[in-house]
Amino acid sequence: MMRGDRVIYAIFILAFALTALLIFYPAYHAVELSFQHRKSLVSAPEWVGFANYGHVLAMPEFWSALGRGVIFSGCSIALQLGLGLALAILLDRKLPGMAVIRGLSVLPYLLPTVVVALTFRWMLDGSTGIISHLAKTLGYTHIAWADHPVAAMATVILISVWIWTPFVTLACLAGLQSIPEELYEAARIDGAGAWNRFLHVTLPQLRSVILVVVLLRTIWMFNKFDIIWLMTRGGPQHATEHLPVLSYRLAFELYDVGKGAAISTISFLILSGLIVLYFRFFPLDQKD
Amino acid sequence: MTRKPSKQNSTPIQAGITRRSALKGAGALAGGMALGFAAPAVHAQQKIVRFLNGEPSADSVRALRFAAAQYEKLTGVQVRIDSVPGGAAFQKLQASIQAGQPYEIGTLSFVGDVLLLAGEKKIVPLNDLVKKYDWGPRILFPMNGNNYWYPYDYNLCWINYRKDLYGKKGLKAPINWADYLQNLTAVTGNGDGQLRHGVVHPLGSDDATNYTAFGYLWANDVRILDDKWNVVIDSPEMAPRVLEYLDFMADLVKLMPPSPRQASWANLVGDFQGDIVSHTPGTGRLIDQMNLTMPAKAANVASCLYPSKSGKKFAVNHGYDGWVVLDTPMTQEAIKFLTWFSDEHFINFLHSSPIHYQPTRLDIYKDPRWLAHPSLETFASIVDMQKQVLSDPNVVIRSIDTEGPEPDVRAGKLFRSFALPEMVQDRVFNGKSSAEALKTAAEKIRKVIA
Repeated sequence: MMRGDRVIYAIFILAFALTALLIFYPAYHAVELSFQHRKSLVSAPEWVGFANYGHVLAMPEFWSALGRGVIFSGCSIALQLGLGLALAILLDRKLPGMAVIRGLSVLPYLLPTVVVALTFRWMLDGSTGIISHLAKTLGYTHIAWADHPVAAMATVILISVWIWTPFVTLACLAGLQSIPEELYEAARIDGAGAWNRFLHVTLPQLRSVILVVVLLRTIWMFNKFDIIWLMTRGGPQHATEHLPVLSYRLAFELYDVGKGAAISTISFLILSGLIVLYFRFFPLDQKD
Repeated sequence: MTRKPSKQNSTPIQAGITRRSALKGAGALAGGMALGFAAPAVHAQQKIVRFLNGEPSADSVRALRFAAAQYEKLTGVQVRIDSVPGGAAFQKLQASIQAGQPYEIGTLSFVGDVLLLAGEKKIVPLNDLVKKYDWGPRILFPMNGNNYWYPYDYNLCWINYRKDLYGKKGLKAPINWADYLQNLTAVTGNGDGQLRHGVVHPLGSDDATNYTAFGYLWANDVRILDDKWNVVIDSPEMAPRVLEYLDFMADLVKLMPPSPRQASWANLVGDFQGDIVSHTPGTGRLIDQMNLTMPAKAANVASCLYPSKSGKKFAVNHGYDGWVVLDTPMTQEAIKFLTWFSDEHFINFLHSSPIHYQPTRLDIYKDPRWLAHPSLETFASIVDMQKQVLSDPNVVIRSIDTEGPEPDVRAGKLFRSFALPEMVQDRVFNGKSSAEALKTAAEKIRKVIA
C-alpha cells in the first residue's frame, strides 16, 4: 500500500468514526427511544414496541403538523430557489464593485439564526418595533404578524427566505460561472433572445446544481426547528407547529420522550422516502 | 576489552554513571510515573461538589461563588458553580445524569421536574435540612412524606404600577376588577399623567402567559382540578367565575399594547421601564433591576395583588425556585455544603436580588442580617405586601403547575399544554364566546391529564 493510500484510508476511518459517534449513534438512540415509554431522558425505559408509532399516527396534531411542515418547507424552498437564482444571475454580471456586493449578499447566511430571530422579533414588536412604528406612520395600527395563523406562517417563511436564500445564490452563482461563454455565443448566433438563452442554456447547465440545492434545502427546511421555535414557538395556537416542534414539545415539555422520538423517526422516514423519489424522478447527471 | 566511550555520552560515564545505570534510572522513572498515574493522585483527593445554578444574574452568581470560595477555605471541599438560565436547568441536569457526570446540586423551577427526578431516585430527600426551619405556606411540596428540595424563593407574580401617575389622578390601589379597569383607563392615553397603554400581559402559548395572566382567575376563586384530580374548571361552581374572568380579559386587552400574543418576558420589563405601560405583572426582579439602573423611576413603583371581581379575594401567581441534591458519591458533601450555606451565606444570596428573592423560610423575615438590606426599607410597602401574602387567608397563592391535591406530573402537563392561555386566546382573539372557550379548554385539559 502506498503512503498516499494510507493517508486516504486514515482520513476515511477518522471521518467514519466521527460520523458513527456523532450521527449514527445518536440516530440509533433516537430510534431506540421511539420504542420505549419514558417520561424523561433519565426515566427508566419501558419497552412498548410500536405503540408510540400507533399513538402518534392516530394523533390529529401529527397530521396537522406534517401539513404545516410541508407548507413551511415548500413555500420557503420555492421562494429561496426563485430569489436565489435571480440574485445569482444579477451577481454574475461583471460590474464595478460586484465583489463587494457579492460579499454583502452572503451576510444573512453568516448570521446566527438566534441573532436573526431576536432582531426580527424586536423589529416586529407591537410596542417598540421599528416595523410596527413604520406601519403606524403609514396609517396601519400595527403588524399583526403573531396574531393571525396565516400571518405567523408567512412571517417565519419570509424570515427563513431572508436567511437561507444566499446559500442558493452562492451555489447557483458558482454554477453560472462554470457555464462556458461559447454556449451563449452559439445561442446568440442562432438568434436566441435573453429568455431563450436562460431557458435553453442557463437552466439545463444549472440542472445538477439546482437538483442538489433543492435536495439540501428540502432536508434542512423540513427539519428546521430553530427559526420557528425562536420566532413563534409553534404559535399562535399551533399555527406554525410543524413536526420538529411537535416532537420537541412532546419529548421535553409534555413528558413523553418516546412519542417525541417516534415523530422524529417518522420524519426521518418521510424525508428518506422523498429523497428516493426525488432521485428517481430527477437523477443527477452521470459524468464519465 | 573496554568499550571506548563515545563522544556523546562521555560526560555521564565520566561522572560514574554507566549507560546501563542511566537506562535503569529512566526505566524506574517511567515505571514510577506509570504507577503514579495509575494510583490516586494527590490532587484527586480534593472533594468537588458541582452546583448547577439557575439564577444567572451577575450578583447572584457572585454571591454563590463567594460562598463557595469561603467553604473551600474552611473545609477544602471545592464547590464549582455552573450557571444557566432557570428554564434550561432541568435539561442540563438531565444531560449531566445521562452523561454519567451528574451535578451534586441542581436548581429546579418546576415541581413536576422535582417529582420526576425523585421518582427515578436521582435526587435524595433533604428532610433533616428542611426540618431545621419553619417554612411559609405552599412551598415545600412534600412527595411521599419526603422533602426533596430546598425552596429558596417564592417568585410570586403580582401587579406593579406607577404610583406617581396614581398620585396625579388621585387613584387608589385597585381592590376589584372595576376599580382596576377604571384606574387603567384613567392613566391610559397621551395626556398629563397618562401613558400610551395600561397594562402589558403576554397572551401567547408560553410560560410568560401561564405565569402572569391567571392571577385574576385565582383571585376569582377558580380551581382547575379538585382533590381527586377531576377537572372542575367547567363545573357549575367554577364555570360562572371562569366566564367572568374571560369577559374581564376581553375588556383588559383593550388597554394593552398591540399584539399581546407576541409579548414576552422582555415586554413585561421593557414596556414598563420605557413608559409605554403604567402597569405590568411581575416579581420583585423588576424593582431590583430598576433600583440598580434607574433608581428615581424605581421609587415611583408600587405593587398590588391581583384583584378579584368582588374585591373579597386577592391572588399572586406562584413561581418558586429550589435546590435539589442528586444521588452521587458526593451527595453527603453536597448536603453538608447546603447545610452550611443555608446558615452562613443564604441571606447574602437573597440580598443579591432582595425584593425578588422573597424568603421561603419564616425565620429569615426576623433575621437582622436580612432586614439590614437598604432595599427592604426603601420598598417596605412591597415587602409588607409579600408578608401579607403568607398570612392573609383572603390571598390565594396558586399556579397552573401546582394545581391538584399533590405534586404530580399531570399538573406539569397541564402547564405545558397551554390549554388555559388558549382559552383566553379563543375568547379574546378568535371571536369565541366565553362559554365556548371554556368548553374547548376543559376538553383539552381532560385529554392532557388523562
